[in-house]
Amino acid sequence: MRRFFPVSAVTGIAVMAIFSWSGCSPSGDAAETRYEVLSPWAEVDPIPLRGISARVDTLEGKKIGLFANFKRAAVPIAREVEKKLKERFPDSEISLYHSTAPNVDESVEPDAAKFEAWAKELDAVIAMVGD
Amino acid sequence: MLLANNGFVNDARSAASGKGMPGVRVIGTPIACESTVAEDIRAGIDGALDEIIAALIDPLTEEEESPEKFVETPSRIAFKGTLGEVNEFYYRKGWGDGLPILPPSEEAVAEMLTGTDLPADHVVAKLIPRMGKATVEKIAVNAVMAGALPTHMPLLIAVVDALSDPKTRFDTFEVSTGSWAPLVVVNGPVRNDIRINCSSGMMSPGDIANAAIGRAVGLIVKNIGGARKGIEDMGTLGDAMKYSLVIGENEENSPWEPLHVDFGYGKEDSTVTVMFPNRYTQTIPAQTTPEGIASTLAGMGPGALSCMIVIPDHARIFSQEGWSKKQVKEFIMENSGRRDSRRAGRLQDEDFMLVVAGGPGVWMGLLGSAGGFGNSFVTRKIELPQSWDVLKKKYGTMVPDYVRY
Repeated sequence: MRRFFPVSAVTGIAVMAIFSWSGCSPSGDAAETRYEVLSPWAEVDPIPLRGISARVDTLEGKKIGLFANFKRAAVPIAREVEKKLKERFPDSEISLYHSTAPNVDESVEPDAAKFEAWAKELDAVIAMVGD
Repeated sequence: MLLANNGFVNDARSAASGKGMPGVRVIGTPIACESTVAEDIRAGIDGALDEIIAALIDPLTEEEESPEKFVETPSRIAFKGTLGEVNEFYYRKGWGDGLPILPPSEEAVAEMLTGTDLPADHVVAKLIPRMGKATVEKIAVNAVMAGALPTHMPLLIAVVDALSDPKTRFDTFEVSTGSWAPLVVVNGPVRNDIRINCSSGMMSPGDIANAAIGRAVGLIVKNIGGARKGIEDMGTLGDAMKYSLVIGENEENSPWEPLHVDFGYGKEDSTVTVMFPNRYTQTIPAQTTPEGIASTLAGMGPGALSCMIVIPDHARIFSQEGWSKKQVKEFIMENSGRRDSRRAGRLQDEDFMLVVAGGPGVWMGLLGSAGGFGNSFVTRKIELPQSWDVLKKKYGTMVPDYVRY
């Protein structure tokens, strides 16, 4: 029980800490004790990093994919982007992919094949998440 | 490239980095989240169009093309200083929850580790979104910071294991705009061993087990999972239940089999059951007859997933009149007007759980989450260390001694 303080002591610590932060450290041993403390921040395994795809030089004549997730604004935003791009680049082709299930990774089963087939045909992709 | 609300740009960049593609171009727009206003969307896209086009045609920078491998090797020892200095350092690092912490010194962490037989470097799970390694030692460090006791370690390990089960959809709830909080329901003998409050005021502050275990879970989610408020945890309004939401079932005062037995565990097993509510409502029944209590429970609007809290007195009334837990659930399913917005059909048995808890009074409670994400309640058995009896004696006697006045 030595190193774990009862609730009343925790309250005391709170008060001391606040005083300390405001430059009014209380006197006494408790305030002067020094602690060597461990990091709570977790380590992660390194993951391989990938660069993003090379850009196209123009959108004219290109096939542009619009990925809309399940959120209700995603498709309306995609449609607006489509409209604006077609105005600016009339010869571009737009292809919409609508992910209807909430928060799923389309690159894994069961829709992986469909998603990959869609992505392979594209020159550029804009993702819309509705937020 | 990705188009996101301005407030989600940091979140999108963290997500891209977490997938190994830190160079993904993210363009922010002022379009309201989940906007249904055509003019809002039109104006937002109008304003962002040049940036969108640039993001698709501007040549890649060297860093975007070949991002440098960033290998983070955090030092095990984070800091040396006084109590106040430690608190200031941790707060500034974003490792706290706004309340003072206890210093996780080598000595305090070693003592915390007596609460488990697992080795300190054992990885219980990798927690999203950062895929941080939840080693037993990292769990212990966060537990010390939260003011937990070594007897809380077995529960924390079980909770971390439960969170890593895809059926919780922790990936969605942990970082969602909905501000869902991890609810931990404790069952079995361990409740009494560590004095989990299952009775009066169990959800109010004042009990070290209920308070510190939940607080530690919050710190673990932040410091191991890497879900920081406003960066990855995008809870719009936030939720005070994220400070701590740990309850125990009042098994001794329930006429029914406890929750973990419903889920297939033995009565002598100790378990934690996890779900993510973001609303807590309480009400009183119009009548204290079984029909009156059940009608009020149904009227509270349980959806998938929900935890309904029935106080022991009401459970006794049900039982005395011959109502089993199953019958109460069937009544609620039949009479609840609530439907899950993401799924057709009426409320199902697996959509909600009944927990007998709380003290004297007339109130009943509903902790409501959401379904339709392929999510369900997740239960884990708590594995106790061999020295449990010794630990129980050492730490289990600590209770507030309230002065009468």
